[in-house]
Amino acid sequence: MSKVKTRQKVILFTCSWHAYSSLEAVARERISCSTAVVPIRLSCLGRISPGIILKAFEGGAAGVLLLGCPEGQCRYQTGNLEARKVVEETRSLLLLLGYDENRLEYQLLPAENGEKYLEVLNQFLERVQNGRKKS
Amino acid sequence: MNKFKEIVEANRAWLCLDCGKCSSVCSITLNLIEGYTSPRLLVETAVASGEDITLEDPLLWSCLTCQRCSEICPSEVNFSAFVQGARQLAFDQGLSGSCTHSGMIQGWMRMMADPDLEQDRLGWLPDDLAVDQDSDTIYFPGCLPYYDAAFGELGFEGLAIARGAVKILNALGIKPRILENERCCGHDLYWQGDMETFQKLAALNLEIIQATGAKRIVTTCPECAYTLRTTYPEEIGDLGVEIYHLSEFLADQPLLKTSEKSSGLESGKVTYQDPCRLGRFSGVYQQPRDLIASLGYELVEMDHARSTSICCGTSCWSSCGQVNKEIQISRLEEASSTGAGLLVTSCLKCQIHLKCAQKIPGGGDSSQMPIRDLTTLVAERI
Repeated sequence: MSKVKTRQKVILFTCSWHAYSSLEAVARERISCSTAVVPIRLSCLGRISPGIILKAFEGGAAGVLLLGCPEGQCRYQTGNLEARKVVEETRSLLLLLGYDENRLEYQLLPAENGEKYLEVLNQFLERVQNGRKKS
Repeated sequence: MNKFKEIVEANRAWLCLDCGKCSSVCSITLNLIEGYTSPRLLVETAVASGEDITLEDPLLWSCLTCQRCSEICPSEVNFSAFVQGARQLAFDQGLSGSCTHSGMIQGWMRMMADPDLEQDRLGWLPDDLAVDQDSDTIYFPGCLPYYDAAFGELGFEGLAIARGAVKILNALGIKPRILENERCCGHDLYWQGDMETFQKLAALNLEIIQATGAKRIVTTCPECAYTLRTTYPEEIGDLGVEIYHLSEFLADQPLLKTSEKSSGLESGKVTYQDPCRLGRFSGVYQQPRDLIASLGYELVEMDHARSTSICCGTSCWSSCGQVNKEIQISRLEEASSTGAGLLVTSCLKCQIHLKCAQKIPGGGDSSQMPIRDLTTLVAERI
């Protein structure tokens, strides 16, 4: 993996439900978003695994953001909780690899809330910009 | 001559007598659920049908490269090396086995090939252990910090093995150097056929290790020991240092003063799992057994021990399925049937794989058997 470049992509994993509906709300209202963000829609955030997140970084991602349904509102009951465990495990691996902890984040989003989505996304992008790879 | 023919010839695959001795000991062949494959059959395919069909054969990816077949082969066919060579060709064509754990482990290994990486991997070292960054002895924990983070839930001893190793070295008066930025040795990627990443990792380790001016490396991982000692000189260059698995190193040292502390085992009996890379690949059978005896345990051997030992069932984090679980469960049952109260191994992967198999419901007594690394067993008695 080469050094982090300024135009590096941010990978966004979302579930198909609450979180994705917030992305769609932004699209519907035609609000501009950063082109650095590559959204990948999963059936449920519970599908994520450490290997998939590491694959994004191995491929050169500047950051990985996971967006799921609020607690208690997962379509499949526990997917968002599973994803939290995966993120914690992956973060401990990334810290060993010397990556800034801000490059991986997990957030829960309400449905149909484009404003909240943009707030979470922009704050994440800012943290990734400030906390780029230590080297 | 084409590359595939070279691999067949270099590993004597064309000298196969078709005798079937390998099939009688291959763990994969013996535990197949459906269909049939065996080392003999793959070698026959290679010689008779050539590259394309061989690279599609399931055994090419399910082979544990445990070397049990070569140990018994009357024609000295080096089947594991043949498989590794064929996997290189396959990998270059975009073929590979299925990665276990969603490719997480290959992920961190490939990320370590980044020359700019600055790892933060020494957080496990407590203040009461002595290290010296000018020491001529390096302790090489390998990927232990990573496996500790990934497999803690299994009850894997993880970094206790690394701390134990430093404690033992300290007891011998050695303050080891521990490298801040060592890379994965590349063993698993090498055996999966990913030579490009293996060579990057090996070149980085070569540079880092040679820059220390150290005389020796002690590791607690049989795969690191074998790879640094044997594969590096073949593929990238000699490190110019002595390489030891901890059990080998301790065999050459004055006897450790161990406490009389009770073993905590009712019978005092333990059994030992020979790791493939330490046993069949490196010929280290007796030293771990001597260490076990020095702790006052009675060693009761499994039916398959030393050169006939059975692999822990999965290798290079690839192709783990029902057949592999069958191998692991039967190995655990074999360990349990010795009457030992403890299964000792000296490979972190044996411990991870066997503890994983113990989580399978309905495992009976063998799923309750404690499994420990020889390092922590010695360290707790100092």
